[in-house]
Amino acid sequence: MDFSLQDAISKILHSTGFTALTGGQAIMITISLVLLYLAIWKKFEPLLLLPIGFGCLLANLPLSMMANTHEGGLFNFFYLGVKHEILPPLIFLGVGALTDFGPLLANPSTLLLGAAAQIGVYTTLIGAVALGFNLQEASAIGIIGGADGPTSIFLAAKLAPHLLGPIAVAAYSYMSLVPLIQPPIMRFLTTEKERKVKMEQLKPISQTVKIIFPIASTLVVVLMLPGVAPLMGMFMLGNLFRESGVTARLHETSQTHLINIVTILLALAVGSSMTAETFLTVDTIKIIVLGLLAFAMATAGGVLFGKLMYITSKGKVNPLIGSAGVSAVPMAARVSQKVGQETDKSNFLLMHAMGPNVAGVIGSAVAAGVFLSLFGSGAEGEGHTALETLKTLTASLRP
Amino acid sequence: MSLILASIKVSFLAMGVIFLVLGILIGVVNLMVHFIPYTAPPSPAPRAKAPAAAPAAGPSQDEDHIAAIHAALAHHLGRAPQDIHIQNITAL
Repeated sequence: MDFSLQDAISKILHSTGFTALTGGQAIMITISLVLLYLAIWKKFEPLLLLPIGFGCLLANLPLSMMANTHEGGLFNFFYLGVKHEILPPLIFLGVGALTDFGPLLANPSTLLLGAAAQIGVYTTLIGAVALGFNLQEASAIGIIGGADGPTSIFLAAKLAPHLLGPIAVAAYSYMSLVPLIQPPIMRFLTTEKERKVKMEQLKPISQTVKIIFPIASTLVVVLMLPGVAPLMGMFMLGNLFRESGVTARLHETSQTHLINIVTILLALAVGSSMTAETFLTVDTIKIIVLGLLAFAMATAGGVLFGKLMYITSKGKVNPLIGSAGVSAVPMAARVSQKVGQETDKSNFLLMHAMGPNVAGVIGSAVAAGVFLSLFGSGAEGEGHTALETLKTLTASLRP
Repeated sequence: MSLILASIKVSFLAMGVIFLVLGILIGVVNLMVHFIPYTAPPSPAPRAKAPAAAPAAGPSQDEDHIAAIHAALAHHLGRAPQDIHIQNITAL
């Protein structure tokens, strides 16, 4: 065999990624570097944006076979965890293990604030439809307003997998911007008198109630919205690990090692879905804009409902805790505390805001469940009266 | 236009379902809190006073113990015994 140095150099040069690099990939690499910058230097949700950014970087390096669509590639296997509903529910298991429902149980009416904040989901749904998305896509985009990353990923993977990347990036980016997005809206919608309201100290709750709550809420929510069983089930199981007091090792693992490992897999899988073909579209820009609308409307919805509770409780509820209903635990609760203390330094709203904050997690999971009931496949429930009713309803809603 | 109308219908329906589900949860929580009230945990029993030092161990025996501990510490730390001052020894 003849060996030509020139041919060899030419072959090596042609086998490098440089020759295969497209303009789209170069832009995506730049975007991934921006995400890494935001995560490392600006501390924007670094636990998620860093692996998402690096996953995006790897996925867009030509010939690396690291995009989620490259069958047999590493991230393709990670992505199966998203596609088959494994990773987001496992994150919820860890979140449940970290969650204290005490403030919510001490003041259960704050669950309504978690419901009211979901208005952001639905105004965004309408906005997304107006911008040309179909109802499934609009639902997946709308859930960004739930301010809950795993729920957004869970729903996007089911209803609009082609939009997973932009939806996840928008959800996590805006979650990290909650301290910037929420305060102006909260100040605009409340008076100084309302912001000064000091709430009564929360009453203590029996440990038995804390143990029964995750079981009871699983029964109620999953019986009403079976589609949300993976999320709610794991969330409440994690909380039962915490409150039962008999599974210390499982509780410890769920809230530390497991959630960390799953976060790495989930974030890399999401990052690997951000390829030039799927991300560099007009739809991505629309989703980024709609995501901001979702967060703003969710905050406004929570605060306005808080004002309603202020009126009905004759001034006992501080409307600022309503903004925590958007989920984004515990950052949104901290924002309520901070804005409250701007008006009165001796006002401590944090624990009161934790109630609507965890209610927001339940609320966004329920909102996802409603979308799944309306627009999910639901083939496994074929023949059930409830499903048939929903199908009829859905058919009547579709044009 | 019909799609926007459908999305508005979906929004009202879904918000209704969310308020219904969370309203039921509020009812369940209120029932639980009503029937299983909080009871403060019993205050911890006062700790038994540590028994007084055995009367058999007189002052001279304590001094022997202090001297032994002094020497052992000085040897272990590699310092001169006069650099170490033991101020108190409590019997467990």
